[in-house]
Amino acid sequence: MKQPGAQARLKKYVLRQSLCTGCGACVGMCPYQVIYKDRTVQLFDCDLPEGRCYTFCPRTPTDYNALEKTLFDPRDLTDELGPVRGFFLARAADAGLRLRAQHGGTVTALLGLAMAEGLIDTALVSGRNDEGEPQGTLVADKGELAGYAKSRFIVSPTVAAFNRIDAKDREKTGIVATPCQAQALAKIRTAVIDGCSQAQSVGLVIGLFCGWTLAAEKFRGLLERFFIPFADLDAMDIPPGFNMLELRSSEKTLLMPLDEVDEYVRGACRYCVDSTAQFADVSVGAARCGMDPGEMRGWNQVIVRSLRGEKLIELARQKGALEIREAPAGALRELKEAAAEKKRQGLENIVAKSGSKKNLLYLKNYGPAAGKRENR
Amino acid sequence: MKKRKPAKTLNLILTGVGGQGNVMASRVLAGMLVDAGYVVTIGETFGMSQRGGSVMSHLRVSPDEVKSPQIPAWGADVIVALEPLEALRVLGVYGNPDVCVLSNTRPVYPIGVITGELGYPSREIIMEKFSLLAASAWMIDATDAGVRLGNPVLSNIVMIGALAETGLLPFNRGMFAKEIKKTLPPDKLSLNMKAFDEGRAMIRQESVALKNL
Amino acid sequence: MNKLLSPDKSTVLFLGNEAIARGALEAGLAVATGYPGTPSSEVIESLAGVAARRNLYVEWSVNEKVALEVAAAASFSGLRAMAVMKQNGVNVASDFLLHLIASGTRGGLVLVSCEDPGALSSVNEGESRYFARMLEMPLLEPADFQEAKDLTKWAFELSEEIRNVVMLRSVTRMSHASGNVVCAKLPTKSRRAKFEYDGPVMDSQTGPMISTPVVAKHRLHQEKLKTVEALFEKSPFNRYSGPAKPKLLVVTSSVCFLYVREALSMLGLERDVGILKLATTWPLPPRLLERNLQRAEKILVVEEVLPFLEENVKVLASAMAGRIGVKTFFGKYDGTLPAAGELNPDIVARAIGGIMKVKPKTPPASYLAEVKKAAALIPAREQTFCAGCPHRASFWNIRRAIALDGREGFVCGDIGCYSMAALSPATGYNTMPTLHSMGSGTGLAGGFAKLSAFGLDKPVMAVCGDSTFYHAVIPALINAQHNRADITFIVLDNAGTAMTGFQPHPGLPVSALKETVPAVDIACVCRGIGAKVAVADPFDIDGTSKILTDYLAEKGSVKVLILRQACALSPEKKGKKTFNVRVNEELCLGDACGCNRLCTRVFRCPALTWDSARKKAVVDEVICAGCGVCVSICPQNAIVKAQGNM
Repeated sequence: MKQPGAQARLKKYVLRQSLCTGCGACVGMCPYQVIYKDRTVQLFDCDLPEGRCYTFCPRTPTDYNALEKTLFDPRDLTDELGPVRGFFLARAADAGLRLRAQHGGTVTALLGLAMAEGLIDTALVSGRNDEGEPQGTLVADKGELAGYAKSRFIVSPTVAAFNRIDAKDREKTGIVATPCQAQALAKIRTAVIDGCSQAQSVGLVIGLFCGWTLAAEKFRGLLERFFIPFADLDAMDIPPGFNMLELRSSEKTLLMPLDEVDEYVRGACRYCVDSTAQFADVSVGAARCGMDPGEMRGWNQVIVRSLRGEKLIELARQKGALEIREAPAGALRELKEAAAEKKRQGLENIVAKSGSKKNLLYLKNYGPAAGKRENR
Repeated sequence: MKKRKPAKTLNLILTGVGGQGNVMASRVLAGMLVDAGYVVTIGETFGMSQRGGSVMSHLRVSPDEVKSPQIPAWGADVIVALEPLEALRVLGVYGNPDVCVLSNTRPVYPIGVITGELGYPSREIIMEKFSLLAASAWMIDATDAGVRLGNPVLSNIVMIGALAETGLLPFNRGMFAKEIKKTLPPDKLSLNMKAFDEGRAMIRQESVALKNL
Repeated sequence: MNKLLSPDKSTVLFLGNEAIARGALEAGLAVATGYPGTPSSEVIESLAGVAARRNLYVEWSVNEKVALEVAAAASFSGLRAMAVMKQNGVNVASDFLLHLIASGTRGGLVLVSCEDPGALSSVNEGESRYFARMLEMPLLEPADFQEAKDLTKWAFELSEEIRNVVMLRSVTRMSHASGNVVCAKLPTKSRRAKFEYDGPVMDSQTGPMISTPVVAKHRLHQEKLKTVEALFEKSPFNRYSGPAKPKLLVVTSSVCFLYVREALSMLGLERDVGILKLATTWPLPPRLLERNLQRAEKILVVEEVLPFLEENVKVLASAMAGRIGVKTFFGKYDGTLPAAGELNPDIVARAIGGIMKVKPKTPPASYLAEVKKAAALIPAREQTFCAGCPHRASFWNIRRAIALDGREGFVCGDIGCYSMAALSPATGYNTMPTLHSMGSGTGLAGGFAKLSAFGLDKPVMAVCGDSTFYHAVIPALINAQHNRADITFIVLDNAGTAMTGFQPHPGLPVSALKETVPAVDIACVCRGIGAKVAVADPFDIDGTSKILTDYLAEKGSVKVLILRQACALSPEKKGKKTFNVRVNEELCLGDACGCNRLCTRVFRCPALTWDSARKKAVVDEVICAGCGVCVSICPQNAIVKAQGNM
């Protein structure tokens, strides 16, 4: 009996298990798989025993500890947040940019800086296709970056767009990535394909904090109930201090209690243990800890993770692209607690699915559980 | 080469792949032989089962009697194949140590071969099997001759010309000319005669004969 | 000159079906009708070719039932008429046939059923001989080409003798085989049509043509069958050949007679075994049977497919056992011969050889050993859609739409070349898991669609060809619409009855007689039913996929997509290439590409092959039909097209 090929295993262990995050890592390399309406679709059967689709997927078994240790300085690793070289609050120095951004505009400012300084030629961000569905979009003009600065809480198959970039151009591409996408990119960087390491092939990764995302098709249905066409949705946010999801279109603003939103959360997000994009160079999220919510609005929390990330932040300080301030006392502890809670829930759900504490599905040799790491 | 004049029934199988003009070739052959006074029976299969599949016509030339439209196993005297693999396939059911084979060289790959699931035997292996399973065998590139004449489908007429030259069946150029006049429009006649002559010439060239005992 | 009109006494090579047509012409046929179906189509086709010369009315009817009705009208009006169909067509016509036999006929009316033992070109090996017994209709079975002609001619005379319909049954190996036929005279006079109905109700020649009073007419019909038996006793088409007292008597009919004769010659048993060849197989002539069954103690019945003749012979033999003694019967019931699949001389020789303890000759063992070695090298040749076939593109689109939809939808299949999608699943990209009779795909789809309340929540599709649409799909489509069945119905409109040889159908503006007729538009019919209708070109992969994917997502009742593209073998396309297609070798990455040979491994076009030495795709220009669809599937855009000769 022939062993199932890579595509069949992907279907069996990821797609059929509702573990697919829609990150796009398995798409864009072959004619067999596409993302359609937020679903990973296998159009035709491919019988290759090994395939990048299976290798790159962030939800196929991954040696988590090895991945962290290969990509980061082991001395920086923490149980709750992964590698941490630095932690502070930041926002874009450009006030106009801040206005158009989700929070502090830090991501857009960093990408703009990297472009201006020639660290990257293009930025890969989440845009929309003609149908209004999210897709990875390449931006080569730094002036256009701000147009992609809002979050809509839906995973865009950004990695698929990355897979389509010419190999030689990948190193000069900056990517904005959710935790699952950052993990996929980490797997791409460490993969050895046809005897060749891909280590140099991924450019700058700016990670986004992420607690969960929405199942696009279900959510689209919800919006239609409130007469908000998906394409008209300007912004979404969870303002600090409220347990509400805020939906803004040009016509109206809608507030939805988070426990009602739960129904629309993508199933795969329940099995995620990373809320801070641990595999990015720099991770950015809304500041919401330890301070008066009003004052926090408009600032980002930033975790510096890699040497490359550290250099970028240093450059941002020198060039004045970011306003940076120390995080308030207790902010890191609060962030760690929140991240640990996400991990606990994720692991609980994973164990419930696998039926055994010893089977953590895609997490092999997983940090805290593996117990091999010193706490710092 | 000895001329055969059937005192007993002569069994010929014409084989190939759907779309190669198998049916037309068998009817032209049969038409000539009926006019020459033989009782001819042709068994054919066509229709959907033959789309892209193997096709076979059984031609039975008897001095006196209608025969079964299916030739019994191991009962072929002559196999004419528009596709070499099909010659081999027919040999495996209807062959015998006295059978003569005339085959086109050009493969039409089965889908299983195109998809990579199956292999197609090389020309050398096919020729070797012909020499083991047939008393005489000729291989000619009739498709190429057809293409040179402007239409690959003429390969069936090239094969009929070649068959005439082998002397395995009692018909000649004149009978062929008379037969095609019955069915073909006048403007197609000279091209078909050219194809017929091309086939004859290919057999005459000793270099193309694999084995002629 | 058309060979069907060959002069008296000339010897002509006729296809079995042409011999039947010629026999009908010699009988003075006026009206011929039929529905195309292998192996029957050439009867009507060849008659249509001489219709003008012979003053015939010939039509391709919408289905077999209507064909028989149209032919019956001619008979009611005193003309000789014939309805021609394949075996399962008789099932379609059988409801009318039941009532027709009860009402009786006037002008000679012959129902020709061309059957397909072994299902060489069918998805069944149905037997219509049982209709003869069930509906009490005389049955004739020719055993060679001359008989095919002569028996057809006699069938008309017999029909007029008993004033009822007569069935003539042929099989693929007769209909699609050819042999010498000596022609007889074609009549010079033709009849005038005249329909009377004022006479007494029990007089089928002048009264109303109805089946009532049922019991009285039934009784009358059974009396007529006595006449039939008497005529069959004297029929020259029933013959015994062999020794006066054979060691074994073979009773056979149809082409099986030729197999038996061949088998005896293979075994060298011509002097030991006798053959009773019957052409009149229902009702059997009892006295003829009695005379011949007396010859031997052992009786073998050879026939295709089911033991119809065997049963009927046994019934007679048991009734006359007191006079002829107890016989040992061999046939299908005791397993001497298979009751499934077609026969051939080898199977019959093994059966006779088994009874007579004689083995057929085979080549020397060394030869057989070489054959075995060679056989291991021969790859199977699977059926597939032709190069340039629109169905390949259609199923490619269907597969994409099902995958994109993500709910594992499926297609209910129907009868046509596209049946291949079920017969060879990879050819239809594993989308079509059901296949039954004409029109049944749509009926099934309508049924599946109603099962969502029971938990079957998959999008359901049905496909049918243009000719099939008119034949039997329309009632199923109306049923689906009326009962609000949520189905996507796809018409694979390739502009003709492609599988059987491009016979016209009601959707085309031309008739069997090449007259211009109004075309019945499928889109208009569907819109008339109230369905949502779209028309697309299956070669437009993006456009067609989009419509289909949207259809699957859309809740509603019947959604119709008509995919229009002519068959690659159609007269207007054959030999012409829309595009000259080739593979740009610099762009094709071959094995190094992530495509894993989508073009050759998955797409499966016979013209798009793989050069295993160079590990690149290559277009076989001799086979390529130039449709250009493969251009749109290569992710490297390595397959390129230039304008062709069309």
